[in-house]
Amino acid sequence: MEFKDNIPIYLQIKQYLYRQIITGKLKPGKKIPSVRELAVQLTVNVNTVQRALQQMNFEGILYTKRGEGNFVTEDTTLLEKTKRELIDAELDKFVQSMNSLGVSDEQILKSLTEYLKEERK
Amino acid sequence: MGNPLEITDLVYKKNQKKIITDLNLTLKPGKIVALLGENGAGKTTLMRIISGVAKNYRGTVKVASFAKEADRKAHLSFTDGLTGFANSTKINDIVKFYQILYHDFSLKQFEQLRKFMNLDSDMRLSEMSKGMKEKLVIALTFSRKTDLYLLDEPFSGIDAMARKKIIKSIILWKQEKSTILVSDHFVNEIAAVLDEVVIIKNKTVCMHKSTEAIRADNQSVEEFYESFYQREEDE
Repeated sequence: MEFKDNIPIYLQIKQYLYRQIITGKLKPGKKIPSVRELAVQLTVNVNTVQRALQQMNFEGILYTKRGEGNFVTEDTTLLEKTKRELIDAELDKFVQSMNSLGVSDEQILKSLTEYLKEERK
Repeated sequence: MGNPLEITDLVYKKNQKKIITDLNLTLKPGKIVALLGENGAGKTTLMRIISGVAKNYRGTVKVASFAKEADRKAHLSFTDGLTGFANSTKINDIVKFYQILYHDFSLKQFEQLRKFMNLDSDMRLSEMSKGMKEKLVIALTFSRKTDLYLLDEPFSGIDAMARKKIIKSIILWKQEKSTILVSDHFVNEIAAVLDEVVIIKNKTVCMHKSTEAIRADNQSVEEFYESFYQREEDE
């Protein structure tokens, strides 16, 4: 896992874990790796991992069992919401990038529909 | 326990020449901090002063609140190269020496580190590459249990695999409250594991900042570090 060095790493760790959860690599109700395991696996600072996990605990996507570690929430509404937010963030990036190429919102929809049709053939 | 490191108004001269001037630096517990600066900026000198190898400085240097050299040495772990040992010395013999010298040296911990680094304890210094020696230095340094660890340019002249091993060992073996000060003239390769950077320029600390604070300004740690030397080139 390579991180960008001009964006706070705790934010990127959060993004990474959200993806792991949404794609089912980390399952609802299951324990996630320990802080140190994650730090070694991602080659990042332990304190930075700690900060990311703290925030995710605060958001409710993770919960802590005392002395056992961090677990993924089983709250399906919250998981759905997190997935929607991830999708929205990707769409934001896409639309902004298209706009910067001078493509209007209407054109984006048209181009995307055509593109998907072409690809599906 | 006080901070792992507190330096106040440090001045150091060698042959009438000022190497370090008016340097102040405080490191808090539980941090991994890079000491950055060009070659010859005084990084090694500073480490040698902190560890009590270099003497005759002015100012105060405290390690875990201790100012006396002997006390400082007991509260920090620093391997000043392996220059004191003959080329024919085996790893085993160096370990025996460390066990006698440092009561906090853990053989069990060393064995774990040695295996992690793939080092053979029967090897002699003369048979080891630069990367292997650097791995040995790290293993010896982390086998002690202290408040402060000093690593002097552990990444210079070694290959990418050895570098990864060393970085992973820093993450794996660092105790929660201990602080690591690691010098380098390059920051890219270790930026992701750092809490803070300390930049040395013009014989003193010109910047001490958290890496995540640098990134929060949409700057990479490397760009941030280079900007201090860029300004000079532009002038």
